[in-house]
Amino acid sequence: MKPSHEKVDILIIGSGAAGSLMAAKLSKTGKNVILLEAGPERGLNDLVSSQIQARRLKWSGDPVEETGSQPIGNVFNSGYGTGGSALHHYAVWPRLHEEDFKVKTLYGRALDWPINYDDLRPYYDKIQEEVGISGDHTTEVWRPKGMPYPLPPVPAFQQSEVIAQGFRKLGKTISPLPLALNSRDYNGRPGCLWDGWCDAGCPTKALANPLARYLPEAIKQGCKIIHHATVTRILTDKSGKKAIGALYHNKDGMKITQRASMVILAANAIQNPTLLLNSAEGGLANSSGLLGSYIMNHAAALVYGLFTPETEPYMGATGGQMLNQDSYDNKDKRKAGFGSYQWMIAQAIKPNDLLGFGGSNPGLYGKKLTEFMTDAAQHFGTMTGCVEDLPLEENRVTLSTNKNKYGMASAKVHHTSHKDSYALWQGAKQEGLEIFKAAEARQAWNGPLGPMHIMGGTVMGDRAKNSITNSYGQCHDIDNLFIAGAGLFPTSGGVNPTFTVHAVTLRSADYITQNWSSIT
Amino acid sequence: MQVSRRKFSLGCGALTLSFLVQSEFKLLTPENAKAQNIPFQNLTQDQALLIDILGDAIVPGANAAGLSHFIDHQLSANDKDNLLILRYLRVNPPFNDFYLSALTACETAIEKRYNKKITDLSEAELSEFIPLIMQNNPEGWLNAPPAAFFYFVLRSDAIDVTYGTRAGFDTLDIPYMAHIEPPRNLGIKS
Repeated sequence: MKPSHEKVDILIIGSGAAGSLMAAKLSKTGKNVILLEAGPERGLNDLVSSQIQARRLKWSGDPVEETGSQPIGNVFNSGYGTGGSALHHYAVWPRLHEEDFKVKTLYGRALDWPINYDDLRPYYDKIQEEVGISGDHTTEVWRPKGMPYPLPPVPAFQQSEVIAQGFRKLGKTISPLPLALNSRDYNGRPGCLWDGWCDAGCPTKALANPLARYLPEAIKQGCKIIHHATVTRILTDKSGKKAIGALYHNKDGMKITQRASMVILAANAIQNPTLLLNSAEGGLANSSGLLGSYIMNHAAALVYGLFTPETEPYMGATGGQMLNQDSYDNKDKRKAGFGSYQWMIAQAIKPNDLLGFGGSNPGLYGKKLTEFMTDAAQHFGTMTGCVEDLPLEENRVTLSTNKNKYGMASAKVHHTSHKDSYALWQGAKQEGLEIFKAAEARQAWNGPLGPMHIMGGTVMGDRAKNSITNSYGQCHDIDNLFIAGAGLFPTSGGVNPTFTVHAVTLRSADYITQNWSSIT
Repeated sequence: MQVSRRKFSLGCGALTLSFLVQSEFKLLTPENAKAQNIPFQNLTQDQALLIDILGDAIVPGANAAGLSHFIDHQLSANDKDNLLILRYLRVNPPFNDFYLSALTACETAIEKRYNKKITDLSEAELSEFIPLIMQNNPEGWLNAPPAAFFYFVLRSDAIDVTYGTRAGFDTLDIPYMAHIEPPRNLGIKS
C-alpha cells in the first residue's frame, strides 16, 4: 500500500523561477504549500566557481531524446535540483515588446497571446522592484513603457567599450544590458563583483536566482520543499475534470500520493507536457490535441573576435554588458527572415566550456591553439544575438518508448526552426560580423547555431481548441490545474524569457489568490 | 545563508578528484595523479597513452595536466556528477561506450594509415592525422562515434583540464576570482 500524505492546499511541482515565485506568493496568503523537486537539494555553498563543476547544476533527470535539424540542447539549457534552470541563468531580463503579444493579429502568422503588453506591464514593474534590475531606461530606447529600473546600470568594462565602437560607427544604438544582478547593494542582497561566474550559479546573492530571492521567502512562510521527488502522474477525480494531487517517488523509491486542492505544474517546458502526457490516455488537459506543441528555442547568433586593444574579457557578467534592439520591432522589416532579435554585448567569458573562448574556434589545435588562447585571454570579444523562433505545431514533445525506473515514459522532443527564423539567424550572424569589422576586430567569426531558452509546449490562448491554458496558466480542461513557466509562451520574442516568466507567474498568483474559492 | 565573498586561497580552482592509492582514496589533481602514476580504472595503458598523445597534440599541455587520469576518473563517476563535456552534447551517460569505441577506432585508423601505434608516430604524422579526423572518418574508423565529434569532445576535455583550473588561468594570466573554491571532493565518495 502506498503512503498518502496529508492533503495540502497547493502542490507545486518544480522549484525553478516560476515554482519558487508561486510558492513565495501563495504561502504568503496563508495557504499550505508543498513544493516537489525532482533533483537534489542545493544551497549557495554548492555554487562553486568552476565551469567544469557547474555541469552538475544542469539537467540530469530522465534522458530527453532530441530530434530535428536544430535540437533544443536540453541538458545545457535546463537545470536539475533546487532552483531549476534559473539557478544557472544569466539574469538578462529585458521585457517582451508590445508586438510580441500579437504576432498573428499584426502579421497573420504564428500565434497571439491572450493578453497584451499592458496586461503584463504592472507585473513587470512589481517584479523589477522586488527583485532589483540594473539598467538605464533613458538610453534603452526600444523598451516598452514601464517604471524606471530600480538600480543604476551595470558597469561597462573594456570589452564592451571596444565593441560599442562598431555599433556607433554603423549608426546603431547601444544601452546598458538590463540585468537582474545588483549593481549595488539592494534589499539585503550585495552588489556584484563582476567576476563572470554566473553560469556556475551565483552564491553571493547578487544575481536573482531562486536561492537568492523567492525560495527563502517561501520556506520562511511555511512552504515545505521535498527533494528527489520524481512525480510520475497528476491525479484527477473520476470525472477527470478535477486535479486531486500527484503521485511521486521519493529518494528511496517509495511511491507516495500527495493530495492537494490545487496542483501547479512548474517543472520546465519539456517536463510539464511530459508529465501531462503520462497522466492520462492521450494526455491530461489535452482536449485541443496540442499538448507538447509549439516548442520554441531561441537561436543564439554567436559572434567572436580578436581585437588589438586589451578587452578584459573575463570581467563583467556572463549575460553581457550592453544591449542593442535595433532589429526588434517591425518583425517584417528585417533584411532576412522574419522576427525580432537583440544583441547581448560583451559577455564575460572563461577559457573553457561550451561557451568559453577555447571552444569558439574548434579548428585550431596544437601551437596555433596555444597562441590563440594566450591572445584571446587579453583581446577576445564576443556578443550573442537572441533570435526569435516562430512557433510550429510540429515542433513538439511526445513520449519516448524509453521509460524511467518507475515506468514513466520519458520525453522525445522534435525541433526544426521555421525557415524564416533560420534566415533571421543567418542575417543576424552576418550583421554581427559587420559590427565587429566596424569595431576594428583583427579577426571576426561566427559560431554554430546555439540553442537557448526552451519555451512553449503548453501554450496559453483564448480558447480550449487552440491552447492548453488561459492567460493565467489555468488549464482549460481542469480548473484547479495550473501550469507556470516559459512553457506557456505562445511566441518567443527575441528576449530572454526569465523576466516574463516572473511577470506571468505573479499575475497567475494574484488570480489564484483572488479566485481561490471558485477555483477549488 | 550568506556566503563570504570572494575567498582567495591557495588551491582555489584546483580540479581535485578522489583517486585510489594503495587501497586508500586520496584527493589529487589529475596532474598529481599522473605524476604518481595512479593506476587506471577504465582505460588500458594503451588507451591512456593514445588520449595523452593525441590530446596533447591538439591542446598542448593536456598530457602534463593529467588528461587521461581525468577522463579515466570521470568514466567511473555517477551519471549525475559527471563532469565530462559529453553531457552537454546529446550523448546519454554512461560515457564508457563513447570513449572506448572511439579510442579503438582511432587506434585502428592510425595502424591502417601508418602501420604504427600512436606512440611511434612522428610529429609530422600526428600533424597530418589530426586534420583527417576533424573532417571525416579515416579508413578503419568503424563502430564508433564520428571522428570529428570525437575530436571536438577530446579537445574540449583537454581544454578543461589544461585551462579550466586556477593553474590554467594563471598560464593565461587571467585572474581566477573565485567566489567559492571547488570542493575538496567532487562528490565522489571515498
